[in-house]
Amino acid sequence: MNSWWWWALPVLILPILWHRQKREQMKAVPLATARFLPSSRPVQLRTWRLQDLLLLLLRCLLLATLIAWLADPVLPWRGDSVLVVPGTPPAFVDRQLREAGLTDARRIDLPHRDAYRWLHEHEREFDPQARLLLVGDVAMPAALPRLRHALTVRPQAVPAPASERHVAVFSQRVDAWRKLFAALEGPQADVLDAQAGAKTELLIWDLPHAPPPGLRAPLWWVADSRAFPALEKAPQVDGLRYLDTPQGRLWSAPWLPPQDAAAARTLFETWQRLHLGVQPHTAPPQAPVVDARAPAGPNGGALRDALSAALLVLFALERIATHVRRR
Amino acid sequence: MSVLASAALAAHTGKLDLAIRHVLAGLGHGIHAGRERGAGVEFSEYRAYAPGDEWRRVDWKLMARADRYYVREAERDSHVAVWLVLDATASMLEPSRSVEGLDKLGMARLLLGCAGAIAQRQGDAFGLLVCQGERAHFTPAARGPRQLQRVLAQLERVDAAGTLPAPEVLRASLHFARAPSVVCVASDFLDWPSPLSEAMLRLRGMRHDVRALCLQTEAEIAADFDASIAWRDPEGDKRLFRFGRDVRAGYARQREEHFEMVARQCRAHDIPYVAAPIERAPADTLRAWLQAKRKAPGRRP
Repeated sequence: MNSWWWWALPVLILPILWHRQKREQMKAVPLATARFLPSSRPVQLRTWRLQDLLLLLLRCLLLATLIAWLADPVLPWRGDSVLVVPGTPPAFVDRQLREAGLTDARRIDLPHRDAYRWLHEHEREFDPQARLLLVGDVAMPAALPRLRHALTVRPQAVPAPASERHVAVFSQRVDAWRKLFAALEGPQADVLDAQAGAKTELLIWDLPHAPPPGLRAPLWWVADSRAFPALEKAPQVDGLRYLDTPQGRLWSAPWLPPQDAAAARTLFETWQRLHLGVQPHTAPPQAPVVDARAPAGPNGGALRDALSAALLVLFALERIATHVRRR
Repeated sequence: MSVLASAALAAHTGKLDLAIRHVLAGLGHGIHAGRERGAGVEFSEYRAYAPGDEWRRVDWKLMARADRYYVREAERDSHVAVWLVLDATASMLEPSRSVEGLDKLGMARLLLGCAGAIAQRQGDAFGLLVCQGERAHFTPAARGPRQLQRVLAQLERVDAAGTLPAPEVLRASLHFARAPSVVCVASDFLDWPSPLSEAMLRLRGMRHDVRALCLQTEAEIAADFDASIAWRDPEGDKRLFRFGRDVRAGYARQREEHFEMVARQCRAHDIPYVAAPIERAPADTLRAWLQAKRKAPGRRP
C-alpha cells in the first residue's frame, strides 16, 4: 500500500520550475543606451539555466526523502540464505548445506520455531533470485504456505528438552496424588513438593480448611470445595468448576483426585491445552510452489530511522541555505 | 587592428601615468599649443626636484655644488586654467562589447589624464571635478608635477556610480570659474539637458572655452547588441528593455536624434563637440578633442 507513495515523485518538478522562473526575472544586463530601446515585459527564457543549484538540490532531496519515508521501502539485501531454527544440531545443518549445495549461503538464526511466519514478515528483504533453505524443527503451518522465493525445507524433529514441573501438594492423600503423577508420560518430569514456592505451577489443595492468604499459584486443584465457599456458585464445565481469585485460578471437582484412567487423561489434557499451550508438530520435508503473486508481508520499517535522520538534516540544511541566500 | 591594440593596451595598463606616457609619446608634440615655450627663458627661482620634472630642467652645476637636485623655474605664468570635468555616473561603466576590459570610464579617465599632463607640460594650472553618485568631488587648480600626481590619483580612485549631482550642487562647485579657463568635459551625454549640460552652457556663457568629449562604443554606433538577453538602464529603475532586429532601426533613429540635438546645442553655444568611440586609439581622440576649432577663435578673452 505504501508503495503508492512513489507516484508522488513528480512533485520534484515543482522546485525545479520555481527555480527556473526566478532565473528569468532576475537576468538583465546594464546597457547605458537602454533608454533608446522599447521597454519590455520580463520575457520567458527557454533555456534551462538554473541558479542556486545547491538549494535546488537540497529541496529535491528533501522531497524525495519525504516520499521515501512515507513509502517505507524495503531493500532486497539478502541473497541465498539458510534459515536455522533454534536448537538444531550444527552437524545436521552442515550436512543439509552440503546436500543442497548452498555452502556459501548466509546463515540466519531464526528467533523461534515458527519459521514460516518469520519468512512472511521478512520476505521482501530477500533478493527475488535468492534460494532459501529451511533447516531444523520447523513448526508446521496451518495452511499451505505461499511464498515468492524457492524454498526447501529440511526438517528434523528435535525432542523437547527434559524439564521439571513443580507441583505442591497439600493433602492427607499424598500417595494417591503421587501415583497419579507417576502414571504421566511425557518429556516433563513432575516434582511433588510439600511446600509452595516461586516455581510452583500447580497447587493441589485437598484439605477441608481454607488455605493461608499468602499462598499463591497459577492453578489450583481443589479437591475439597469446603475450603473455598465461593466455588459453590462458580460456573462449571463438564463437572469442573472454575474460578479466578487473587491467589490464582481454581479448578474444583468432587471426583478429584481422579479414580479412573479416562478421567485422569481428560484432566491432564485439559490442563495441557489450557495452561501450557499447543505444541506444534514438525513440518514435513517440502518445497512449496514459488508464487510471484503471493501477498507481501508487512513493511519492515528498517530504513525508517535512517530516513528520518536524513529528513531532519536535509531540512536544517535547506533552511540554512535559504537564509544565507536571502542575506 | 593596431588601432584596437592601442586602445586595449591603454585599457589594460594598470597605472594611469604609464598609459598617459604611452599615449603622449605617440602624439609627439602635435598639440602643444602653449604660447610660452621652453623652460627657463626668464629665470625666476630654484625649486627642489620632484618626481616627474624633466631632467633637462635640472641645474647640474647647482647639483654638483649642493649635492641635491634643483630645478630652474622660469617666469612663465599662464593665465589659463584647465578644468578637467569627469562624468562618473553609472552609465559611464558601459563596456566596449568588442574590446575586453575597456569601458567609457576608463577611456575618459585616460584622456582627461592626458589633458592634465599636457596642461602640466605647458605650465598651466589645472584642477579636477568629478560628478559621481549625486555629488561633485572638487580638486582645486594648481601647477606642477605634484598636482599632476594628485589629479591622477584622484582619477584612479574614481568609481562610477549613481546619477549626476543636482543642479544646485554643481552650481556651487562652479565658483572656481573666475579666471579664463579651458573646461574639458568627458561624458556620454546621454542625459541632455542635465545638470551637467546646464553647467557647461553656463560656463560657456561666462566665456570660458568649454570642450565636450562624447564617448560612445562601436556597438552603440552600429546598434548591435545581444538580442537573447534583457537589458536595463544602469541609472534608471528596474524596467527591462529588449533588443532585436525589429527595434534596431528605432534605436538607431532615437539615438541619432538625441546626439544630433546635443551637437546642435553645442554648436549653438560655440562648444566644440567631439563624439568618439572608445575603441579608437586614444591619441587620435585626444588630438581631435583638443584641436577642435571653435567658430570664432578670436572671441576668446
